[in-house]
Amino acid sequence: MSTLTASGKGEIRRVLEAIVGPGGVLSDPDELMVYESDGLTLFRALADFVVFPTSAEHVSAIVKVANRENLPFVARGAGTGLSGGCLPTEGGIVISLMRMNRVLEVDYDNQIAVVEPGLVNLHLSWKVGPRGYYYAPDPSSQQACTIGGNIANNSGGPHTLKYGVTTNHVLGLEVVMPDGEIVWLGGKTREACGYDLAGVFVGSEGTFGIATKVAVRILKKPQAVKTVLAAFDEIDRASAAVSAIIARGLVPAAIEMIDHLTIQAVEDAFNCGYPRDADAVLLIELDGLAVGLEAQAERIVAACREAGAREIHTAKNEAERQLLWKGRKSAFGAYGRVSPAYMVMDGVIPRTKLPYVLRRVNEIVAAAGLRVGNVFHAGDGNLHPNLLYDPRKPGDEARVVAAGAEIMKVCAEVGGSISGEHGIGLEKSDFMPFIFSAADLSLMHRLKNAFNPTGLCNPGKIFPTKKSCVEVGPVAYRPHAIEEKGLAQRF
Amino acid sequence: MPPALLEKLRATVGPANVLTGIELTPYVVEGRTPEAAVFPGSVEEVAAVIGLAAETARPVTPWGGGTAASAGIPTARTGLVLGLRRLGRLLEHEPGDLTATVEAGMTVETFQTALRSRGQWMSLDPADAHLATVGGVLATNASGPRRHLYGTARDLLIGVTVVTADGAVVRGGGKVVKNVAGYDLPKLFVGSYGTLGVIVEATVKLRPLPDHERLVCIRFERLKDAGAAVRSVMASDLIPNAIELLDATASTAISVTGAALVVGFDGLREQVDWQCAELARLAGACGGHEAQPLQADTWSSLGTAARATSPVTAAVMTFAVLPSQVAEMMEQGAGVARARGLNTAWAAHAGIGVVRAMVAADVVPTEPAAIAVVLAEWREMARGGGGHATLEWAPLAVKSLVPVWDDPGAAARIMERIKAQLDPQNILNPGRFVAGI
Repeated sequence: MSTLTASGKGEIRRVLEAIVGPGGVLSDPDELMVYESDGLTLFRALADFVVFPTSAEHVSAIVKVANRENLPFVARGAGTGLSGGCLPTEGGIVISLMRMNRVLEVDYDNQIAVVEPGLVNLHLSWKVGPRGYYYAPDPSSQQACTIGGNIANNSGGPHTLKYGVTTNHVLGLEVVMPDGEIVWLGGKTREACGYDLAGVFVGSEGTFGIATKVAVRILKKPQAVKTVLAAFDEIDRASAAVSAIIARGLVPAAIEMIDHLTIQAVEDAFNCGYPRDADAVLLIELDGLAVGLEAQAERIVAACREAGAREIHTAKNEAERQLLWKGRKSAFGAYGRVSPAYMVMDGVIPRTKLPYVLRRVNEIVAAAGLRVGNVFHAGDGNLHPNLLYDPRKPGDEARVVAAGAEIMKVCAEVGGSISGEHGIGLEKSDFMPFIFSAADLSLMHRLKNAFNPTGLCNPGKIFPTKKSCVEVGPVAYRPHAIEEKGLAQRF
Repeated sequence: MPPALLEKLRATVGPANVLTGIELTPYVVEGRTPEAAVFPGSVEEVAAVIGLAAETARPVTPWGGGTAASAGIPTARTGLVLGLRRLGRLLEHEPGDLTATVEAGMTVETFQTALRSRGQWMSLDPADAHLATVGGVLATNASGPRRHLYGTARDLLIGVTVVTADGAVVRGGGKVVKNVAGYDLPKLFVGSYGTLGVIVEATVKLRPLPDHERLVCIRFERLKDAGAAVRSVMASDLIPNAIELLDATASTAISVTGAALVVGFDGLREQVDWQCAELARLAGACGGHEAQPLQADTWSSLGTAARATSPVTAAVMTFAVLPSQVAEMMEQGAGVARARGLNTAWAAHAGIGVVRAMVAADVVPTEPAAIAVVLAEWREMARGGGGHATLEWAPLAVKSLVPVWDDPGAAARIMERIKAQLDPQNILNPGRFVAGI
């Protein structure tokens, strides 16, 4: 929290209330605490205000107040982020977009929707679903996360293997710039007019401004879908199957891997039909034309058999398919069955390096005296090792953080990246030098200066810096206020 | 140019790789001759050459295959042409990763040939692939008909190495297909026309070659009906890889009579067969004639169809509009030109709303002013529907009357600031791009 005086704070609160109305500003520390973390509860920082605008003009006015008062500000969606990207590291104003959640326009002829940033990802597919359309990027948190948050992090999901990530689906955005000006970057038509600012904005983790309207592509739902579960006795064989599928000239909609420990957790929780004794399963989905889908599935099955799959099962109907996916999409929650807490890692490697890197991950985790569950986008090489630990055990959390850094180093060493979809945020800013040189970071910094010259817009993120003075970094576990009040629980 | 600088350039890249005097003829654009053309043989040499240019604030014009040399406004101050043709190696291709890293000076065709030999391709099909280089295609955001399904350079480029205006070698993105670490620098450099840095290496996502591919043409009496067929195809379950709409003039470039809807499909043979039959049914319901398969070599003619129909071209303009506006834009645009005695040809990537129009210079002695009036009217039509227009090709006399680039509105300010941050001396392709950048 910044060092505003009580009277200064009261005055700013009145100014903010004049913009958004009396029900749109929080400044009581108890209420602010709800917004001190995102999905990565390792980091906490308290804002001075949380404000709930309902229009771009509101956002612009709030940003102008922040500039006038020299207060940092940061946009926040559903708070499902996993890198601390929306934390008010230096206090100031959290601008919640949750009241800007409308679908403004759907143009089915041109397959475009214009939405507000607080719209929940899945709600867009619900809206256009009855007409046979959907919004393709499908992060696992899609029931809660917002389109605006997806833009900040350039979110992916299981089906990005075939359909690409958020940036491939955003045509244009209305943005409140860090100085309060409202600007359209891109538009509804293709071809940027000048630099591809919409492309640069997506994935900038809230440091280039705040999106207030978003024009996205909506896609026709595929005519047919086929989901295959292949079980392996050795995880290396499952990894080899991923490369074998690609080598056969197939790009399925999704190839997900779920390892032994995760299978146990998921089966305990949901009983979704994964063979408990398998070392790993691959969940493979094909979609597209009904014609030829069977032939493609046969190729997949053949590739898996050749790689040594023990058993292969195809979902017979939509209910079975949903059950297979439930295991994948709910795996994170299911870890609660096997561990009091876990921390999800996010790294990317070249697909062909999967066997080597998974072995290294296991070594690192074992050396740290921890356990790991892997459930991830194998087709993209996007790893999610989940390090299981007990936050009440002294030193566990620190070991998790140290092991996480080691895993990121391995990803970097094999030519990969330190984040595939969760972002850098606070968590990984000090890892950036693993993959970027000083010259690379300098260029990024200059780009940031072009959008955000004062640095007030979401400070302290992405770039390696001295840690901020607020409570961030590995800390001993303490229950969050909303846990104490029984409003939420860790799982 | 100061003799000392020339000596330094020769010492850097070797005397044989610095062209001066009469040797510069191929690098003259709109009558403007550069001081020298320099051909570095490595990334380090590119950095050294740009460093030397920066010392004396000399303009640098990156040059790949020269196929887009006339795009934009030629640089007013003379400086160096920086040729990338000696950076032509395929650095890495791992089929199991579906990625490849290539130097910027390799031609697209050479790159594709190498990839094809291992069953893959870069899903980008710009015109003049035998001349155009990977770096040039990225810098100009060139594309072709298959962008309908596979997108453009922005969707494929996952990593880029550039030399910036201060001679630094900078990498953005990486070598993996999914990556959100740091800002998306590949997006910044795609379509930046060499104004922010010189692309020297690129890593792209690849796709497996499809089992089969087929191009089908359906003739229509009226363009309007072809436009209705496009909408019908888009609302169907079909997954075409290209949807091209050609007016009766442009269609002569592919030896077809009348307005033509040309649709491509790829995949398994049974998928292609089924889709062709379904297309014929949908198009027939909109008044289309019988579907005819086209030769595979027609693909490469599609992107340039509008321009190829006249021996002398007065101007080429490209429009970005909504797909539903394409047929109307083509008909009304042709009408506007006809009313002023100008012949035109129109072709479009109809499913994504990118339209290209050529003004022929073969009928009347074409006064730049007369052409400019039509181009300005066209641009207003596109803007009226929420789109925009770029003057892709025209003589300088026309470009001086009609802005090459459309107005990016309030975003221009951000673009100017990016340029100022990355190229404070304004030496990279100065004045060639949007908003005077």
